[in-house]
Amino acid sequence: MSERAQYTPGPASGAHIEKDGDKWTLVIVRELRHSSEKVWQALTDPAHLHEWAPFDADGNLGVAGSTVKLTTVGAPTPRVSETKVTRADAPRLLEYNWGGFDMRWELEPLGSGTRMTLWTNIGHRFIAMGAAGWHICFDVMDRLLGGNPLGRTVGPDAVKYGGWQKLNEEYSELFGVETLKPPL
Amino acid sequence: MKIKVTSIYVDDQDKALRFYTEVLGFSRKNDFSQGPYRWLTVASPEDPNGTELQLALNSNPAAKAYQQAIFEQGQPAAMFFTDDIKADYERIKAHGGEFTMPPTDVTASIIAMVKDTCGNIIQLTQLTWNR
Repeated sequence: MSERAQYTPGPASGAHIEKDGDKWTLVIVRELRHSSEKVWQALTDPAHLHEWAPFDADGNLGVAGSTVKLTTVGAPTPRVSETKVTRADAPRLLEYNWGGFDMRWELEPLGSGTRMTLWTNIGHRFIAMGAAGWHICFDVMDRLLGGNPLGRTVGPDAVKYGGWQKLNEEYSELFGVETLKPPL
Repeated sequence: MKIKVTSIYVDDQDKALRFYTEVLGFSRKNDFSQGPYRWLTVASPEDPNGTELQLALNSNPAAKAYQQAIFEQGQPAAMFFTDDIKADYERIKAHGGEFTMPPTDVTASIIAMVKDTCGNIIQLTQLTWNR
């Protein structure tokens, strides 16, 4: 059995919504048993991103002021967004914009591991789907850094996967929003 | 093979959804997102399983230049057919639609033009030639 076949994500947890009027920000906190330096590399190095992130980057995201093209993986028509890295304080704070989403990553040491927090503004309608997607991405990142890779699970691979569907329902309930079931 | 969907570029998908549903009277058909990508279509309630109109975010500089140029020329980016253009004109105006041309007789049809609030002019057409 492949690693992915044996993988079952844990229940929805560690995420909440910050509401500022109409603007909603999804906040996800994840505790990882890897050092901040390793997590930073996973967040910025294109080769690492290719193994877990929902986008591919054509350059390193860890350089403030640099321009990087991000390609959404598995979108029905090509979706490439040019992003400018607005903040990169290794290995603590990273900020850029992914095609209209503000992305803010914060890493705090936690024992020998790291507490990672992501703030991102997703439309109300898709916020539970986004949380489910990131949940799986972070599991994939965690195993990648632990030397036990699952394989990137994003886009259609994620949506068809039962674990994602369950998470989508759980996060919808957690956030008090309607569960949106994407076409399979 | 079928013509099932056609696309129009819009500068804001939420704003477009409001115009195409609340002002024009279409219904949301498909709305799915993956990261910043959003597949959003509407359909006519008169033909709910008919051709869909995709409201595609215009993030492409080449498409933006084209969209702006034909808008400035007053050229429609899409055309919808109606059986009663005068009634639709009044209804759309009452919902806040801004027309650049009221119902006007032309060869074989009556046409009107309305701004979609998202960078386009839409033409409404009522055929008169086959009556």
